[in-house]
This record gives sequence, C-alpha cells and structure tokens, in this order.
Amino acid sequence: MRAPVAMRTPMVSARGLSKEYGSGAARVRAVRGLDLDVEAGETVAIIGPSGCGKSTLLYLLGGLERPTAGSLRLVDQPLEQLPEAGLARLRRHALGFVFQAFHLVDELTATENVELPLLLAGASPHRAHKRAADLLRSVGLADRAGHLPSALSGGQRQRVAIARALVNEPAVVLADEPTGNLDSEATTEVLRLFEQLRADGQTLVLVTHDERIAATADRLLTMRDGVLVDETRLSGGSGRSLGAITGLEE
Amino acid sequence: MGRLLLIWRLVRGDITRRRVQSLMLVVMIAATTATLTLSLALHGVTDSPFAHTRAATNGPDVSGLFEPDYHGTAGTLQQFKALRRAPGVIGSSGLFPITELELTYGGHKVRVHAEGRNSNRAAVDQPLLTAGQWTTPDGVVVERSFADALGVHVGDTIHLAGRALDVAGIAVTSAMATSDPLVWLDSSTLLALAGRSEPLWYALNLKLSDPAAAGTFAAAHNTPNAAWLFQSWQEIRADDSTAIADERQLLATGSVLLAIIAVAGIAVMVGGRMAEQTRRVGLLKAIGATPSLVALVLMAENLLLAAMGTIAGLAVGRVVAPALTNPGTSMLGNPGSPSLNANTVGLAAALAAVVAVAATGAPALRGARTSTIRALTDPARPPQRHDGIIDLSARLPVPLLLGLRLIARRPRRAELAIASVAIAVATFIATLMLRHTTVLGVKAAGNILAAAKQNNLDHVGNILSVILVVIAAINLLFTTWATVLDAQRPTALARSLGATPNQITGGLASAQLLPGLIAAIIGIPAGIVLYLAAGENPSQANPPILAMLAVIPATLFAIGILTAIPARIGANRPAAEVLRSE
Amino acid sequence: MGEPRELSDREPLHGYQLRVVQEVLLALLVQSGAHAYELRARLALALGPLADTLNEGQVYVTLGRLETSGLISSQRVERVDRRDRRVYELTEAGRERVLAWFEDVSWPKPAPAEFHLKLVAAAATGLADPVEIVDRQRHQLLSGLREAQRAALAEPAGAVAGLLLEGVVLRLQADLRWLEACARFWSTAEGRP
Repeated sequence: MRAPVAMRTPMVSARGLSKEYGSGAARVRAVRGLDLDVEAGETVAIIGPSGCGKSTLLYLLGGLERPTAGSLRLVDQPLEQLPEAGLARLRRHALGFVFQAFHLVDELTATENVELPLLLAGASPHRAHKRAADLLRSVGLADRAGHLPSALSGGQRQRVAIARALVNEPAVVLADEPTGNLDSEATTEVLRLFEQLRADGQTLVLVTHDERIAATADRLLTMRDGVLVDETRLSGGSGRSLGAITGLEE
Repeated sequence: MGRLLLIWRLVRGDITRRRVQSLMLVVMIAATTATLTLSLALHGVTDSPFAHTRAATNGPDVSGLFEPDYHGTAGTLQQFKALRRAPGVIGSSGLFPITELELTYGGHKVRVHAEGRNSNRAAVDQPLLTAGQWTTPDGVVVERSFADALGVHVGDTIHLAGRALDVAGIAVTSAMATSDPLVWLDSSTLLALAGRSEPLWYALNLKLSDPAAAGTFAAAHNTPNAAWLFQSWQEIRADDSTAIADERQLLATGSVLLAIIAVAGIAVMVGGRMAEQTRRVGLLKAIGATPSLVALVLMAENLLLAAMGTIAGLAVGRVVAPALTNPGTSMLGNPGSPSLNANTVGLAAALAAVVAVAATGAPALRGARTSTIRALTDPARPPQRHDGIIDLSARLPVPLLLGLRLIARRPRRAELAIASVAIAVATFIATLMLRHTTVLGVKAAGNILAAAKQNNLDHVGNILSVILVVIAAINLLFTTWATVLDAQRPTALARSLGATPNQITGGLASAQLLPGLIAAIIGIPAGIVLYLAAGENPSQANPPILAMLAVIPATLFAIGILTAIPARIGANRPAAEVLRSE
Repeated sequence: MGEPRELSDREPLHGYQLRVVQEVLLALLVQSGAHAYELRARLALALGPLADTLNEGQVYVTLGRLETSGLISSQRVERVDRRDRRVYELTEAGRERVLAWFEDVSWPKPAPAEFHLKLVAAAATGLADPVEIVDRQRHQLLSGLREAQRAALAEPAGAVAGLLLEGVVLRLQADLRWLEACARFWSTAEGRP
C-alpha cells in the first residue's frame, strides 16, 4: 500500500533543521536546530503555544519551505539538494498535506478536488475519478461527492481535504492545525478519521494546539521557541482505566 | 479633523501595503494622461494657419501674375496694372517683380521663386515676419516652410544666382500656396540678379469690397489668351490645404488613435481595479467604518493615485509633445502652439476624476449594500464553474489543465485580458498601416520642399509609432502581470499538490496565451477599423499583409515572455507564504 | 445539598467522582418497580463503557441505604432459581427527592483548588518543582483524555453514552489548558521569593 521502506529507516528524518526569517533586529528564528524522526506507521503530534514554530516545522517537513540550515530526509530521500521540480514530484507520492484553512478549490466539486493531485501526477481522468470516489466513500462523504465546498460544512470540507491528501497513497500525511477552524462537532468528525488512519497504519505528523487531536498520537512532542522541549509516549487507549477518570468505583 | 487623519492613515496604509497594484494604477493613468495630452497637442496643431496668416498679412482677395513673354497672349503690363482700379477693388499692392533664381545653400541647389519688395510696407500682402527683419539690399527673406526644409536660419548666408546674401528674416504669406520655394528680395537686387537670362513676371495683389466674390472677380478677368492669371483667395486656400493635406491627415490620425487607445486602456484598467476594491470595502466595514466613511476612503485613495498619475502623465506629455508637434507645426507652417494649455490640463484632470469615481463607485455601492461578512469572505465574484471546461481540462496535459481552469475561474478577467491585448494588437496594426501609407506618390522628386515634407512625415510617423507601441507594451505588461498576481493562491495550492515549476509556468502561460490568441485574431481587423476610423483614406491604405499577420506570433511570443518571467520567479519561491493562514 | 455526601464522603485520590448514583436509582424507579439487576442494566445503558467500572455490590449497597432512608421500599418475591428476590419501589418521599433533584442546578465545583494549592505548597516548601508536578499531571490527564476519546469514538453515533464520554473529553481538555497556563506561570515564577 505505502511505498516500501526498510523497517528501521524512519519515514521522516530531520537533523539540525533551522529556519530563520528577516534580518537584523527583525530576525525571527522560527525553528532552531531541531532533530526529529518519525517511524513508519507512527502518529506524531507536535504541540506548543502560538508562534513556537510548529507550523513552520511542518512546512519544512513538507518541502513547502526551504530550511536555512540542517538536513531533511523524506522516505529516505534527502530534500535539501532537490530543486523545486524534484520536490514537487516527491510530494506527489510521498506526501499528503492537510491545511488549517482547507484550501479546497472553490469552483470544483468534492470529487474534482480530491482527484486533482492524481491528475497533476499524470493519472488518467478515469482512474483519478474512481479513486476519488472510493476515498470520499471511505471518509463517509459519498452522498456529497458532487457538492461544491460552499455547500459543505467545515468538518465536511476538512474531510474532503483529508481525502485529497490520501488520494496519492502518500507515505506521510502532514496536517497543520487540521481542526483549527472547526467547531467541536466537526472536530469529532475529523478525529474519527485520524483514528481510522492511525489504525490503518498511515504515518501521520500532526501539528495542533487541540489536546484532543494531540491525544490521538502515539508520540507527543512539545515545541517551544523553535526547539522540541518534551517528548511523551502516551499510555492508555485500551479502555481499562476508564473508571479511574470517572470515579465510579468507590 | 480626527476623521481626516483617520482617512489619511487608512489610505496611506493600504497604498504602502499594496505597492505593486498602486504603482500599476499610477503608471497606467500616467500613460493614459500622457497619451491624451499628446492627442490634444496634435489636435491643436492640425488647424491650418491660412486664415490667421491672411489676417495678419492683410492678404489679397485676388492675386494676379503677369507673364509677359508667353506666346500668343494678349494684354500689356499697363492693362494689367490698370486692373488696380477695376470695379470692386478697394486696395492693392504691386507690381512686384518675380523671377526664378538658383539658390545654393548647404549642398542644396534649388530653383526658387523670388519676389522683389522694398522696405515700404505693402498695403496688401505684407508678409508676416516670424524671425528677423524685412528685406535689405544685401538681405533676403525666406518663406517659412522653405526655410525649414532648407534648414536655414536668420544670419546664415545663401547664394542666389551666384551672389552671397544674408538671410535677413523668415516670413509667411497667404498670397501663394506653400508648395513652391519662395524668397523675397530687395527689388533692385532682384532685377540685377535676374539680368537677361531669367524670366520676369509681375505680381499684383488686390483687395475687394466683397471678398466673398473674389472667385467671380478672378473668373471675370481670367480671359482666355490673357497674359495674366488671377487666383481668388479661396483657390489659394484650397491649394494650400491640398498641399498640407497629408500632414494634417497624419497628425489628425495620430491624435484620434492616441485618444481611442487612451480611453480603452483606462476602461480596461478600471474594470480590473474594481474587483480588488470590493474586499477592501468588507475589511473597512469590519473594522467599524460606516458606508459613507468607506466610500470616502476609497474615493480618497483612488483620487490620490489618479492625481499622481495625472500629474506624471501631464509632465511626460509636456516633455514628449514638442517632439511630435514641432515637426508638425513646421509642416503646416503654424506659428507654434503651446503643448500644455488650460484645455489639456482641464481635460486631464477631468479624466483623473472620472477614473477615481468609476473605480470607487461600484465597489462602494456594493459594499454599502452587502453584509460585511459576505464582502469579506466572498471574493468580488466567487470563481466561476464551467462543467465542460473542468471535464475537458482533466483530459489535457497538466499545463493546459491548469491554464484552462485558471481562465474558467475568472472569465471576467479573461475577457478584460482579451480586450487589453486586442487593443495592444490593434495599436500595432494601426501603427503598421500608418507607416505604410502612400502619401507622397505624386509629388515630384527633387523638390526640396517635397523631400523635406517626406522627412517630416517620416519623423512624425516614427514618433507616433514609438509612442503607440510603448502604450501597447505597457498595456500588455500590466495585463499579464495582473493575471499572474491573481493566480497566486491557486498556483501555490497546485504546487503543494505536486505540480512542478515548469507545469505552473506552462499553466500560467497557457492561461494567457489562449486569450492572447483570440485577442490577436480579433485585433487585426480591429486595428484596420481603428486606422480607418481615425480618418484615413481607405484608398491610400497599403496594408502590409505579411507584417500584419506576423503580429499574431509576435504578440503571442511577447505574452509568453511577459508571463514566463514573473511566473518562473514566483514558481521557485516557497509556496508556504501564500498557504499559511497565520 | 448535603445528603449525597453521607453515602460517599471519601474524597478520591484522583479523578472526578460520581456522587449521584442514589438519585439515579430513585429516578429509575419512577416509572415502575424493578429488581436490582434490572436497575444495574438500565444504569449501564446510560453509562456505556463507564458502566463496566460499576461495582455490582455498589448498587446493592446504595439500594440498602436508600431503603434505610425511607426513599424506597422493597418486597421479597419468591423465585425458584433466582438469586435476587427483592423488588424495589419508590416511596412518596423518594418521588419528591427525584423531583427536587431535577430542579437542582448545583454543579461540581469548577475550581481546582487542591491542585492549585499543591503547586503553591511545592513552591513554598521547595520540596518539589511545580513545573514537574504540572508535567506529570499533564501526562496523566492526556492519557485519560486518550482513553476517553477512544471510548467516545468507539460508541455508535447517537448513543447516549457517547455524550457522557464527550463531556469527559471536553473537561479534560479544559483542565489541560489550565495546566498549560500553570506551566507557563510557574516556569517564569522560578526564582521568585
């Protein structure tokens, strides 16, 4: 299903990753010498206060920004030497990106939005359409496939965006504040999807300040001022300690 | 006072934040104003000065020439002279001896008509000096258009029939059409120079009690076999008009072309600007501005930019106009007109105001009516959807896919682009036709005035062409630039989904080239119509078909380059800037 | 409202406590009498996965206390092969108690005073680092959030138990946000006298 990768090689590997903006007094060091490994099938959540650089980190991982320093490997390919065209091609099969603002194309239906990455990669319209329909079904939007984004709720739009991110069977899905623009109910819809993806073995890197999204992760990284200050492996999830938090036992 | 300050702050903030768009608007208005200024300047020049000259020189109602050695003619000089007292005549001057002499100056050898005068003021037809002074025994006065053709000035020395004479002055007259070289000399000098070898004629200028009846008078006295020939002032004027017809035509055509292009360019630009403004309205309302304040802010900003553009345009026009009008006025013998007068400034200011109001009006009105959130979240018009195009584009290679969809999402902008490019192409075509008009087919070669006239026509034609091409190029540049700017978000998204920079550049280029092709095809007949509408004689048109057809690929090439450069630059910058929501 | 406390006045060392098991049992008897095992089944329906943590014995103990307080009455019913022989019925007093419960708007107190004072005490005594305490608590709450969230998502949409779990999730989220603020505060407060 996913690109075959050696068991021990991480899907994403960053060393000394840095990104600076501006110069002189206005210089901002958004990411400072960061190291990160994400294994295949892992769900990693990066949390932190606003302005800590977590979104910048994600855009660096996705090749949408160029680092000022450091090295980055995606499915075992070094990114820093790749020209823009090479990055774009890598993105096609290695990455799916989910944005906070959805960034769906307003004048395309849900299906047309989802099939777009396949068309850009050169797939036939027929194959693209079929795959898009399948994905929309799997995210529970089969009955909305022909709707424009303006006719969809926030949660539905983000689900379309997630379907779009999955259409190329990417090795890694990167999500930037995927529930940032969503209310509680829509957040639940998206949460459900991410849990499903996790169960299917998809490698996920999520940037969020929503604790509920963070709680889906296997590994939780805390970022502050451009560096990772904490790493936690969350326990629980088996349902055995529910009573401990509800206090029903006496 | 606080309100004014607030408005000023909002205006200044917006202009500095959107420097490129503001600059584009200013430059477009400047180009348009300059064009309009030149158009008006040229228009002012095309009036024939004949009436003015006639009044200033007390020109004759009837002008007569006595040719005594013409075989088979009847009539003596005395009889000719007696016509001074013919019925209807209230004033006269003459007889003035006229002969043909050879003039040498600066490598030119020309046979000129020389008229003998003295230092007394003639009662009728006293040529008006535009430089220097009247004839002296050693001086000669040269007719103005001939002086321009020869390149001679007051104080230069010419040789007339071998004798060196100083150019004492330069003058104009209405007694003769300006098609033949003419100088005035002291009578005794002339007679000495003429000697026995040159013919000698006599001129008589008459003023009538009824100037309108000059034609009847001339006809009455132009008996067959007469040794003399009378011309009414109306006939002279007609000759003069014919002589300068081509120049006037060229200048008039140029003037109209410039005006049309100026107006068309403005209309396209205003259309593009209005779309930007609607979101601005929403933003202003969202921060608490009332609709009237919003309208004031928009108006102030647009007026400010329009004023800057107008002033710049007037300045450019003032600088460039002499290059057009000076050769123009010398062609027509017009004693120079100012390139900038109250008319021009007034019209330019009016144009600026119209642009400001038009660019402000619709968005402000819409803003006052729609809800704030709608104005903020919806774009001016939401992108359009065309099922057919989306389906079709899915089957095409990626650059065409992107290009077609870019066109389809903003058809209004595509229409504006087509209009813009069509105007540019029409301009090219009209310019080409201008350059190829057969103007001086019949005039004899070797006549220095004709040669000078051809030079002037070429000169003015060249300048006009350059100006028109520059305007067309500016139009083209801004159209392509605006499209690239507008497509920033969709192209950033496409890049994040895996489109390579080449595919993006190809997409942007095809989004421009397809409308460009349509526009180029429309532009050729439009250019021909434009040229004819500017007043040109269809029979004189000699369209260079090959060159005109070559405009299509040339335009497409230009569009391609103009798109590819900003597109390539943008395609290599990180997509993240456009996609970030923070 | 002081009465619930007499049933369970032992503060737990962690988590929230469900103090109103008795009120719920009374309400469950409004429509008709029921055996203890029926009551337990109905309770389980409303609690979903959380019901598994409900001790069998807890229900019996509570029923006994309610009977002692005169809010319910019971009758023995002879059955051949059934363990439970009692049928419980609501008394008038019990009915009034249920109505009063529906009217009541008290809410579990939102102020996390104990934890707050714990941090203050840690800083004052110097025996523990407040920031570390916060981090440990955060970890624990996050794990709890994960648990509750998984359980919530596993519930079919529209199940009433899912609503309870959602409530748990949202409260834990709120608590985590406060802990984030605590972390910020105490990390900069270090070194203050």
